[in-house]
Amino acid sequence: MSALKKAQGRRLNLDSALERAAELLARARFPLFGGLFTDIDGATAALALAQKLGGVIDHAASSGHLRATRVMRETGATPASYGEVRNRTDTIVVIGKSPLTRDPELLKKLFPGEPGLPRPGKNKRELILLGLDKPSASTMPKGVPTTAINGKASLPDLVALLAAATREGRFDIRDKALRAQLEAAGKRLRNSAFAVFVYDPAELNEPVLHTVLETVRHLVKTTRAATFSLAAPGNGDGVNLCATWTCGLPVRTSFARKVPENNLWAYDTGRLLKSGEADALVWIDALEGEPVERPKDAPKGAPAIVLTSKPAKAGRGDVVIQVGCAARDHDAALYLPPIAGIGVVKAAKPNKDNPTVAEVLNRIAELIESKGLGKKGAA
Amino acid sequence: MLIQLKGGRVIDPVNNRDGVGDVFIEDGRIVGNTEGRTPDEVHDVTGKIVMAGAIDVHSHIAGTNVTLGRQLMPELPLLAAEGGQPILPSPAALGSYATGIRYAEMGYTTVIEPAMIPTHAIEAQTELAAIPIIDTAGLVILGNDDYTLELLRGGRVKSDELKDYVAWTLSHSKAIGLKVINAGGSEAFKFNARTFDLDEEVPDYGVTSRGIVDAMQKAVADLGVPHPPHVHCNNLGIAGNVETAVATLEATQGLPIHFAHIQFYGYGDEGEKGFSSGAARLMEAVNKHKNATVDVGQVMFGQTITVSGDILRQFDGRRAANPKKWALNQGEGNGTGVVPYHYKSKSFVNAMQWAIGLEIFLLAQDPWRVLFSTDHPNGALFVRYPEIMHLLMDKDERARWLDGLPEAARQHSNLAEITRELTLSELAVITRGAPAKLLGLTDRGHLGPGAIADVAVYTEQKNKTKMFSAADFVFKAGNLVVRKGNVVRVTWGRCYHVEPGFDAQIEKRVKAYYDRYFGVDPSWFGVTDAVTHRPDRFATIPLKS
Repeated sequence: MSALKKAQGRRLNLDSALERAAELLARARFPLFGGLFTDIDGATAALALAQKLGGVIDHAASSGHLRATRVMRETGATPASYGEVRNRTDTIVVIGKSPLTRDPELLKKLFPGEPGLPRPGKNKRELILLGLDKPSASTMPKGVPTTAINGKASLPDLVALLAAATREGRFDIRDKALRAQLEAAGKRLRNSAFAVFVYDPAELNEPVLHTVLETVRHLVKTTRAATFSLAAPGNGDGVNLCATWTCGLPVRTSFARKVPENNLWAYDTGRLLKSGEADALVWIDALEGEPVERPKDAPKGAPAIVLTSKPAKAGRGDVVIQVGCAARDHDAALYLPPIAGIGVVKAAKPNKDNPTVAEVLNRIAELIESKGLGKKGAA
Repeated sequence: MLIQLKGGRVIDPVNNRDGVGDVFIEDGRIVGNTEGRTPDEVHDVTGKIVMAGAIDVHSHIAGTNVTLGRQLMPELPLLAAEGGQPILPSPAALGSYATGIRYAEMGYTTVIEPAMIPTHAIEAQTELAAIPIIDTAGLVILGNDDYTLELLRGGRVKSDELKDYVAWTLSHSKAIGLKVINAGGSEAFKFNARTFDLDEEVPDYGVTSRGIVDAMQKAVADLGVPHPPHVHCNNLGIAGNVETAVATLEATQGLPIHFAHIQFYGYGDEGEKGFSSGAARLMEAVNKHKNATVDVGQVMFGQTITVSGDILRQFDGRRAANPKKWALNQGEGNGTGVVPYHYKSKSFVNAMQWAIGLEIFLLAQDPWRVLFSTDHPNGALFVRYPEIMHLLMDKDERARWLDGLPEAARQHSNLAEITRELTLSELAVITRGAPAKLLGLTDRGHLGPGAIADVAVYTEQKNKTKMFSAADFVFKAGNLVVRKGNVVRVTWGRCYHVEPGFDAQIEKRVKAYYDRYFGVDPSWFGVTDAVTHRPDRFATIPLKS
């Protein structure tokens, strides 16, 4: 087959898939836009379509991030950027196993070995590991005094105990060695010029997040302190920022009523599919990496429209649309942890064979519009 | 297509026009001589007021700081609405889309976001591009970032490199001008300073706040950027800070400078409460220093949130957070603080702030240098503008408000004695002509031939709140977008910026710097046309020759 014919064939397939997707979505009462492993353009388009159809948006890897957002709404937040943590801290506390599991190079990045920017105080930089053992030497930065505080206590207990030790509060534990470690760590934190707690919110529950935040707030009465949260996978931070500037709320927001409504429990993808409340699913998975696992408990008959840049198995009745992979096939705006914000990543191997997520969703919106289908969601 | 706005009272102080007449629009521009031609579309605006579209020189509507506020307090529009503010009770009411719609309904057609973080310029520009109808531009923040401070280390200014760095930053973020927020203060905060004054040295770097502002003024002037440095002074919100503002004004040595939300610096420390109006003293200095412009940052009573790159000030302000929550983002350069705040008419200090802002407006000898703002959302949400216009134009309305304030505030304020009422022409200066001139956006803010056809038509009435809440018609670049206070067509505006040249060496230096300290390539945060898919989104404005 000639390249032209191949392209034409793809075009025809795409057109009919788009038509079918538009029909399915226009018929849905409460369509769910899930997965959302996409760039800012893709998220913008998904939000626009969800608003238009009175649907709901969720992101497949944002549970932790959303818990942190809820804590923020309740009491606030004290984040520091990657650059500030790397350059200006004298004490870094890594909480839990997840940060180093997700990024084995993290410690080397945060302790780069050569002098950073001017920083407060005269302390030598130190590392405290809470709830994990020292990792292998190959992932450890050279010459950084390190204390690993671990043992039988659970991670939430360790965080609470360190919080108490930092406040010089009384706490009762039998393990004398652990007590000594905690007290030393608490003292070090009080004497730090800039201490930062590093964690992955996906590993911590809300009470623990509150405890960490309150410890920072205790420290900042006399010194400088902050938190550094690992970004959610799949551009979760970027998608959430985009949702927030669009409708004032992060993901797990429904546009079914006049005013958008955010609810971490009610608008969770798994629950919406299991309960049958969502009657159509748009599943978006268009970033580098392993395919994002789709919830398996969708009720029979709920059609799925899958926008993916990966090989996909189509279920019966599913519409699968191959899309470009953001930052591989096309330039993409994504949340970039090193700048603690949204940046643009150039396409690694530019390839225009497939449309982008945004192009597909915008085209579906146009088709719904031109056919006079769909209903108006929240403003 | 030739559009005629027929028979309205045209208020256009830039062109010395205040009288009944017609305004013609063609191809998105105002046109002059149309003799012998029959308009294709006629709008009879007899008895109505015709002005250029309004321009907001300082309103936090986009970017990381603003969205941090949205994350912290999605309930803000609901609380504001509950307290009687004219806003939809929905978290989306302060989202990008609703922002453009509401501004347009009031007759605003250009708004400046005053605090883009250089490394987060893509988010700011993406958010700005998501705001419909209005044109926008951003000011980019420098002055607390390590790169700048290294160039000023010990007071030895490497002026050529600083100039290149400023030019590169403006260009890289597609900004229209430079913002300096508590120069050196946010950096000092990183070294645990809790206060920072004009002549204090930034720890480690050994440069003073005065030195930073001075160097930035020179750099911007040398580059020919039309908008002078947009400065947020030290000691915001502190009793007695009028002395800081006056000293900063005096330090400007005749070079152009803009002072933001000057109301927050109009505070004396006299009286039994140690807090008094410094408006007269401040305005004496502003009136004298003709190189300086200011915007006011008027306060209005009700719920809002404060959003600022003055992290030192915001850290201190956390104690007054209402509701009791706050977020401090310690990032590159300034960082950000967001602190919810409720201005209460029963509070002596809040009542004084409200009165001081109005005093500043009304004591201005030259309205071309004292511009309208609330520092949205810091002094008040932008949806309150019509009420402020009412207060400025109607002394009886002021008296009515004053009656509801604490006795001590009425006694300590001079507002009751001021009988001045701004005219429509003066209002057009502070909301149209002066902002356009200050920004170098000479194609707007007036209705002369060739100007962009941004036009707002209002029904003249005694109740100015009503008058300015809902324009009868708004044309944006010649398109009718608002009718009877409602948006009838959603268009997408442009973003204006400067492109000062720089020595290419600076790109190499900045690249090496970001690589070493951040492991980042500056291209990641460089704004390109690709921020939107609208090909004519960005427009470059000329530099001063």
